[in-house]
Amino acid sequence: MTNILEVNDIHTFIGQFHILEGVSLQVPRGSITALLGRNGAGKTTTLKSILGLTPPSSGTIAFGGQEIQGQLAHKIASQGIGYVPEHRAIFTSLSVEENLRIAERKRGDLAERSDFIFDIFPDLERLIKLPAGNLSGGQQQMLAIARALVPDNQLLLIDEPSEGLAPVIIEQVMDAVRQLSAHTTVLLVEQNFTMASNLADRYTIIEAGSSVKNGRMADLVEDEETIRRYLGATT
Amino acid sequence: MIRFWKRNQALLVALAVTVVGILLVTRGVEPKVWVSILLSGATLAALYFLVASGLSLIFGLMDVLNFAHGAIFVLGAYVGLSTFANPRLLFNTLPLFLAVTSGALIAERFGMFLWRRVPGKERQQILWWVLLAVATGILILGLRGFPIRPLNAFNVTAVGGAVPTEEAQEPLGVMIRRMVLLVLGGVPLGLMTAPKERREERPRQPAWRMVAFGAALLGLGYLILILRNPGETFFLNLSVDIRFLAALLFGTLAGGLIGMAIEIVLIRPFYGNPVTQLVLTLGLSIAFIDVIEGVWGEEGNPPMQPPSFFAESCRSPTLWAWFSENCGSVNVLGRAFPTYRLFIIALGVGVFVAVGVLLRRSRIGMIIRAGVQDSEMVEALGINVRQVFTFVFALGSALAALGGVIAAPFLGVYPAMGNTFQLQAFIAVVIGGMGSYPGAAVGTLLLGLARAFGNYFVAAGINSPFSEAVVRGSPAIAKASTVLIMAIVLLLRPAGIFGKKGSS
Repeated sequence: MTNILEVNDIHTFIGQFHILEGVSLQVPRGSITALLGRNGAGKTTTLKSILGLTPPSSGTIAFGGQEIQGQLAHKIASQGIGYVPEHRAIFTSLSVEENLRIAERKRGDLAERSDFIFDIFPDLERLIKLPAGNLSGGQQQMLAIARALVPDNQLLLIDEPSEGLAPVIIEQVMDAVRQLSAHTTVLLVEQNFTMASNLADRYTIIEAGSSVKNGRMADLVEDEETIRRYLGATT
Repeated sequence: MIRFWKRNQALLVALAVTVVGILLVTRGVEPKVWVSILLSGATLAALYFLVASGLSLIFGLMDVLNFAHGAIFVLGAYVGLSTFANPRLLFNTLPLFLAVTSGALIAERFGMFLWRRVPGKERQQILWWVLLAVATGILILGLRGFPIRPLNAFNVTAVGGAVPTEEAQEPLGVMIRRMVLLVLGGVPLGLMTAPKERREERPRQPAWRMVAFGAALLGLGYLILILRNPGETFFLNLSVDIRFLAALLFGTLAGGLIGMAIEIVLIRPFYGNPVTQLVLTLGLSIAFIDVIEGVWGEEGNPPMQPPSFFAESCRSPTLWAWFSENCGSVNVLGRAFPTYRLFIIALGVGVFVAVGVLLRRSRIGMIIRAGVQDSEMVEALGINVRQVFTFVFALGSALAALGGVIAAPFLGVYPAMGNTFQLQAFIAVVIGGMGSYPGAAVGTLLLGLARAFGNYFVAAGINSPFSEAVVRGSPAIAKASTVLIMAIVLLLRPAGIFGKKGSS
């Protein structure tokens, strides 16, 4: 299995603050890889660094074998990385349809993939003409993921999809992520360990700005010592 | 219905209060007076809107408070006036601008080869300042002694001008020497704006195409230069209407290009640093007005001649009759109203609709609306949001400049003409909600009407709401009325009528 994404020892500063102090991780093609760690460990910054929104000051990032670090964010994204940020960041003043259409990288992207998208998120088809601001939290999360599926992305960076959602809705989001992972690779940040362990094949743990451990999720679930030490939660 | 009420509560209350207030103070005023006050207010509103719409879009998308917007309005008026009345100035300065641009464009294409050889931020910074010094030096050398005042002595709409053409213009040889120097001066400017690191590299035109384009610009400049005498004669012999259209076109274009240049050179390096941008635009506004005074003189110009449709000194009985009579004013319920002001209103409405359609129906409009909310997310979708920034800055500046040109036959052209407009536009944008396009329209309409009613209140006095006495306001009241409205709106709705930013 080849790696679609290889992050090698990146360091990122935000202003004066040294947020990432050496993060390395690999994402095998076709997998779901979970990025775990406590609040403030640097998981979101890792995603933003990969995407170039907070460019790393050193280290390398290879996407599909090509080094992408240091390029502008819109160039990195258009090479085939979709981003589903924390708090969803859907455009509430646009309609649902416009939220999808704006993600097109070439004309007809949406038409081409709308069957696939509405197959995973049947609700959205019904809501297509509504202002996205009228959607519920769960629907907004679905829309944010659907938006990342409009262009032909090979990698999705999904940040905390379960945040602030009711358990029933979390189930739906999990189902959706599982379905789409048949078509693309996912790097998932998730606080909810149950959800992460159910979905992911592999994991990387970040602690205080550096990556400390990675491996197969099946092994981590058995390893209570590591879970207690780095995630401070029990399964 | 209930939902509609909830969502638009503030707006509806504001409207109701305004209407009731106006009805109260205008009890007993005849409808014809009423309507002409409304129309005067709409005229002002249309002009305010042209300034405020760009201001609002620029702030919404880029979080830049552009204090130079009023100066661009003035610049538009002056470029328009010069195009209209004194093309000699443009014929002699355009080649110089084209020379700098062609040098800069060609150098920008090759600039990365220079920067690649100078690694390290500090050394690059030093080189940047050295280039700036070299550019300034060459440009000063190239422009030294340029006879700007004689070229511009009075705007006399006649061939020959106040200072005869031959005396005002420099001989061809001198002008060509200047052009050569300015091409050289453009080179360091182009190098300065070239991408400094590999990561900033943009998709490039092939080198030969850039060189050819630069050469074409230079050739165009040379052509304008050698045609300057016949060109001037030809242009001044054209009809007023065609020259007015040319003024609109060139004024707007100049505003757009200046806006684009400001964004690329001064604003772009400082995104995420709003204080720097704010101080920069404030400084620019002062510098612009100084340059305008330096080029066109401190004394104002009388109102520009309006197109022939508004020129006949008569009063048309109806709007319909005006189309054939082209009178300067038209009968509105028995009172004369200047037709040119109707044109201003129509243009304001036209621009409102056109930009609205652009925002609603086009892809770039969709990107702008999304970017107003979250430009980082737009970028993360793979959209080059910086290009959209430049476009919006240019569009907003072009609209402000257009406002300046159409204000010229109404207000005259003078260096301080932008001050009121900038201030009122800022107030309107705050009232409407920063970053909201319909908000800018509603805000300007409110302000325009308030100014018009305020002026009437000062001039004629009104019946006070609860007694029969006539109250006359001081002139200060008319000016303060707009700020009062702002205070009331902000008390009711801190983010403005349509505002979302900052409220959540």
